[in-house]
Amino acid sequence: MRSVAIRFAQMLLVLWAVATILFFLFRLMPGDPTLAYIDTTFTAEQQEELMRQFGLDRSLAEQYLLYFANVIQGEFGTSFRSKRPVFTIIFEVLPNTLALTVLSITIAYIFGVLVGAWLAWRRGSIAEAVGIPLVLTLRAAPEFWLGMVLLAIFAFGLGWLPSGGANSAGMQFSSTFDRLTSPDFLRHLILPAATLALYLQGLPLLLMRSNMLDVLQEDYVMMARMKGLPEWRILLLHAARNALLPVVTAFALGLGASVGGNVVVETVFSWPGLGRVLVDAVASSDYPLAQGAFMFIALILIVMNFVADLLYTVLDPRVSHG
Amino acid sequence: MPSLMRALRLPQNDPLAIIGVTIYVVFLLVALFADVLASDPFEILFTEDGNLAANLPPSLAYPLGTTNLGRDIFSQLVIGTRSAFLVGLTAAGAVVALGTIVGLVSGYFGGLTDQILMRLADIALGIPFLPFVIVLAAFLGPQTQNVVLAITVLLWPNTARVIRSQVLTLRERGFVEAARVAGSSDLRIIRVHIAPNIMPLSLLYGSIAIGWAILTEASISFLGFGPSDSISWGGMLQDAYASQALSRGSYYWFIPPGLCIVLVVVAGFFISRGYEEILFPKLKD
Amino acid sequence: MSLLRVRGLAIDYATKGGTLHAVSRGTLDVGAAEVVGLVGESGCGKTTLARALTGIVPRNATFMGGEIVFEGRDVLNGPPDAWRDLLWRKISFVPQSSMNALDPVYRVGAQMTEVLRLRGGMGRAEAATRSEELFAMVGLDPRRASEYPHQFSGGMRQRAAIAMALALHPALVIADEPVTALDVIVQRQVLDTLRDLQSRLGVSVLLVTHDISVVAYVCDRVVVMYAGEVIESGTTRAVLEAPRHPYTMGLTNAFPDLERAGGTLAPIAGAPPDLRAPPQGCRFAPRCPFAQARCRAETPPLTIDADGHASACWRSDEAAALAENAKDPSTWTLMSTSAA
Repeated sequence: MRSVAIRFAQMLLVLWAVATILFFLFRLMPGDPTLAYIDTTFTAEQQEELMRQFGLDRSLAEQYLLYFANVIQGEFGTSFRSKRPVFTIIFEVLPNTLALTVLSITIAYIFGVLVGAWLAWRRGSIAEAVGIPLVLTLRAAPEFWLGMVLLAIFAFGLGWLPSGGANSAGMQFSSTFDRLTSPDFLRHLILPAATLALYLQGLPLLLMRSNMLDVLQEDYVMMARMKGLPEWRILLLHAARNALLPVVTAFALGLGASVGGNVVVETVFSWPGLGRVLVDAVASSDYPLAQGAFMFIALILIVMNFVADLLYTVLDPRVSHG
Repeated sequence: MPSLMRALRLPQNDPLAIIGVTIYVVFLLVALFADVLASDPFEILFTEDGNLAANLPPSLAYPLGTTNLGRDIFSQLVIGTRSAFLVGLTAAGAVVALGTIVGLVSGYFGGLTDQILMRLADIALGIPFLPFVIVLAAFLGPQTQNVVLAITVLLWPNTARVIRSQVLTLRERGFVEAARVAGSSDLRIIRVHIAPNIMPLSLLYGSIAIGWAILTEASISFLGFGPSDSISWGGMLQDAYASQALSRGSYYWFIPPGLCIVLVVVAGFFISRGYEEILFPKLKD
Repeated sequence: MSLLRVRGLAIDYATKGGTLHAVSRGTLDVGAAEVVGLVGESGCGKTTLARALTGIVPRNATFMGGEIVFEGRDVLNGPPDAWRDLLWRKISFVPQSSMNALDPVYRVGAQMTEVLRLRGGMGRAEAATRSEELFAMVGLDPRRASEYPHQFSGGMRQRAAIAMALALHPALVIADEPVTALDVIVQRQVLDTLRDLQSRLGVSVLLVTHDISVVAYVCDRVVVMYAGEVIESGTTRAVLEAPRHPYTMGLTNAFPDLERAGGTLAPIAGAPPDLRAPPQGCRFAPRCPFAQARCRAETPPLTIDADGHASACWRSDEAAALAENAKDPSTWTLMSTSAA
């Protein structure tokens, strides 16, 4: 319990530090510091409201304190382009990013764990001699390029799948859940999810393989063989169960990292998600939106880093039953 | 080739490592002789009848065809090797240098110094990587050194953590203790006893970092925040993507730059795998 | 007829430095309800030999020949399935350090019931009852079955390992250094438990150890290995009190008083040979104070006398005189100075 509390405190420290870095980062941008929140196309009343809300006419220290008060309340100001609250925009696109990330990372990890365990078991075989370089090569490929190749083949070449976006134009849905489970959405999801899954599978595969190779050397695996237990049971319930611990941690870390790392895949497929919102906002100098999207991506990353720590504690009895 | 492998202390019987080194050597030669191999990548080409030589498929004159603005793709590809190596080597060098120094100091001195440095590492790992590079490149200007800076600031903790734990084990070894008892200064102990033992590990992380740096630079260029004054593979892919090369099926345009990135990055992975195999028995002992 | 009969067993390891002949002349017998000690320095092949009796060997190990006859059937040269079928039901194993031999992510009780159900064919309830019984039998509180291996002390883990080995009423338990990792008092307790259960259940035990005092404490018979070969075997009393092989003399010499517990083998000058290139003739000759020209040229066979005391030494008929000589420490020191 004590160690969990320490971990939690460390997480809060990191959150605070990253928010602080973000505050100063957005004062690095060229031009007038009030530009972080105020655009000349705003009405006079809007400008005044934002000046007050973010203390833009006051000292840097006061601005910093106000910034924190606002961040804690999820208040990031108003988007320059759409003139809508940043928070609303982010929550509109978040389901798209989560659907894409969770689906592809789940596929990648299931595939990676199974194939990694299999390659460890078939150590020294042709499957390994071909498989390992292939996986390394896939892992070396830029995500956006994988996406471009898939697009060129399946969307433009064969015309089987849509070339971008999350839904066809003009579609109407009664709820977000309806939209996310519609065949139209799923058809749009296939290519970006496949791209991301292809990119992500290398890590769990290689990690699982090397863990399995270590675990297969352990005495308890030899003992299980001496007990005459069936080979499948030794591989799955003893070797794989132990080898899986670090992979589960990597899954949580990967989930956190890929929400932010999705920027390129979301851009290639014009996927209306958090990463693409960030890229568009930065490109069009929509600072409040960029800041909000960045903070959100960081929040997810940091929380998932913490969850990964916790998961390890829960799953390993050596830690949980200390 | 064999003498180079020896110099790098590479396992000469690991086929993957040999392939990796070969790829590096070939691309390095291309980068060095780029001027001879390629013509001006910015030159706008015209056909004999005076029309813009745009979107031409591969031919003898233009081995990989031309872009929508009538530029020679092959020349761009060759010149792009330079920026890939420039970014890859400088960023990897900076990452490994910073990571090694922090890891050394943190592991050797321990205590409060270690605490502070490791919390800094936590913070760096809490910053989303690509978004940070994008914002920094956008705010500080789309220059190569800013991309390198952003990569360095965020990627050092991985190297630092590994080096730190390695230093911690080294510190427990007899020869370090003996040197300390004999009155050697900290600096001398680090220089003579610790640094030589962690250099291979730093190199290992360096060869992986080259790959990550090239991938990151390509991503940034693809998103449009890359250096605008030079030709890079990522920039070529952005060009191709933005000018409908995909829908036109101009595979000759967008396949080669991607393949080049894959080759250079995977070469680093292959080499580092070879390294691991010769390093880890030694590290475990 | 003995329960286990091993003849001329040879096992090679493929290593980076070449082929290592870990065991080359493995010959031993274990009778019914008998405790046999298998002793030797570390690296002499005793653990390899003991583990090989289960057929579960490391990836780089190969059986090069010999026979392993269990209950009259040669399992080494018979169908692999028949050998596998004997595992745990007839032949079970107590590992060196139960820390790593118990799976860290499962409760100890679950690991016990796993083998009872899968190999013993018991139902859930029956396995649970038997598991409690086994825990109690080795002196463990059955309530601790719901704990994980790392929550057990070293002695408790070793008791759990013994209970697990006895789960299916095997005929032979192979115990590989079962008490080495424990402190002396706990060693005694665990050995007492083992000996007590062995005589109550009438099971045979092959006890691998480097500790002569453990052999003296629990074994009926002893088999001595050197450099991959069995060089002497016989009743514990005969081998320890009237050793016939100079190596055994060197070993026992370090323990004039066998009642004094806790000793380990005193080093004999020199080092065991490199098993990738073992010397010609008797492998102990380079370190033997009594070695003659013949010893360095020809390998002495393992010969058995009428009492069942076997040894592999060209000078075994002079054994009594040599043993007397070997008691003088200067015999060994002179040897080491002349060798140097």
